[in-house]
Amino acid sequence: MTYLMFFLGVCFAVGVLGVASNPSPYYGVVGLVLASVAGCGWLLGLGVSFVALVLFMVYLGGMLVVFVYSVALAAEPFPGGLGDWRVIGCAVAFVAIVFGGLVFGGFMGAWKFGVSTVNNVGVFVVRSDFSGVSMFYSHGAGMFLVAGWGLLLTLFVVLELVRGLSRGAIRAV
Amino acid sequence: MNPYATSIMTFSLILGTTITISSNHWVLAWTGLEINTLAIIPLIAKSHHPRAVEAATKYFLTQAAASALVLFSSMTNAWVTGQWDITQMNHPTSCLLLTAAIAIKLGLVPFHFWFPEVLQGSPLMTALLLSTLMKFPPLTLLLLTSKSLDPALLTAMALASTALGGWMGLNQTQTRKILAFSSISHLGWIAIILVYSPKLALLTFYLYTIMTSAVFLALNKIKALNLSMIMTSWTKTPVLNATLMLVLLSLAGLPPLTGFMPKWLIIQELTKQEMTPAAMAIAMLSLLSLFFYLRLAYHSTITLPPNSSNHMKQWYTSKTPSTPTAVLASLSILLLPLSPMMHAIV
Repeated sequence: MTYLMFFLGVCFAVGVLGVASNPSPYYGVVGLVLASVAGCGWLLGLGVSFVALVLFMVYLGGMLVVFVYSVALAAEPFPGGLGDWRVIGCAVAFVAIVFGGLVFGGFMGAWKFGVSTVNNVGVFVVRSDFSGVSMFYSHGAGMFLVAGWGLLLTLFVVLELVRGLSRGAIRAV
Repeated sequence: MNPYATSIMTFSLILGTTITISSNHWVLAWTGLEINTLAIIPLIAKSHHPRAVEAATKYFLTQAAASALVLFSSMTNAWVTGQWDITQMNHPTSCLLLTAAIAIKLGLVPFHFWFPEVLQGSPLMTALLLSTLMKFPPLTLLLLTSKSLDPALLTAMALASTALGGWMGLNQTQTRKILAFSSISHLGWIAIILVYSPKLALLTFYLYTIMTSAVFLALNKIKALNLSMIMTSWTKTPVLNATLMLVLLSLAGLPPLTGFMPKWLIIQELTKQEMTPAAMAIAMLSLLSLFFYLRLAYHSTITLPPNSSNHMKQWYTSKTPSTPTAVLASLSILLLPLSPMMHAIV
């Protein structure tokens, strides 16, 4: 099972690399899907099933769907896919950097932080992540308000940046 | 910008800063940093000019990466020690990662490359916010964890910051870039004393905030974006130009002005900690930035081009006097005799 967690971790890293090495958002989203599925599986392996479900529902079902529709509306005519040499070059460079970091981390002793826990004792006080969510509404009300304001602020910032259609900050140049 | 949007961004800036400086849990500190980053993006890109948008993009990318590193450092510390208290950050890897993350956030060398370009792309008032208010939460985090940080790394970054802030500012004619490099140098002074006396670092930051706010407000009044505009503004605001000269010399650290106080106290503390070569090095490297402060001060009071020296001040000027500029400029010039009190109350 440790090997399965490691495999999910590799899928996560590969998905993120796929996002980073694609200049077109259309094909980068595939990497995001792979990364979030792998992350979800990892969370399931750690035992926090509710948080995994929330990740799947909100991230893939909400954020990604909205992103895909808005990107489709932005209508890029000729996106650059994996057949272009530029994309492959970027992917090879990123993979080399990640492997270099892993090897260097091995020398620095970074591989001590394993993910082999089943019950997360020592990090969380309560075992179930359900209780964590309910505490977010009771004792953590202040943090809840702050987090809600942060998300609302993100919406306002994005709206302010793209105000004015093609006269705004985000335009195709 | 739409007044509702401006008020939301301003409120979020105040909220984010207050959250970070008053938190003792790492997640709340990170939340405040992220709220600050988000709220200032539209303020940087307000004019929708491509340079402003590029500055906003650079700011967002560097600050988001640094926030992620802050989160990673606090998570590894929580994994090892089991608690999220900011003052109890003991794990060496976490401290190293946190120092790098805060260095990116502040603009210490070798993570300073974004700062001049971001400042150049933003309006003068937003540049003021970026230099003063946005430095406050990361510095607070460094102050809270100062006893566990590595002095050698901080000293190396501090000396490099003072050196590069001085050297790279020498060839600049745009005032915002000059003030960016001045900020990098002053952060070097703050970083070098952080481990030995956090109160002195805080005092240096406060005095730097006062002095640089006075400079930015004065430059905003005369709309001086480059040296030529400073040179020709004396007929409209002669007293402001004279005051600007004194405030710039205070930023350079010349006695008997306020800016000498932090440098003097830092050199004294470093010598007491048997770091005399470091004290000598940072004092000598500040001479580089003295050159461009002197050049700015000279251009601010020069009376030659294109008006002759017997050309009187314009009889009518539309520049109304401004109280904050006056107060901050007075503080920047006259606080040195109060050094014992300032050192005691910070």
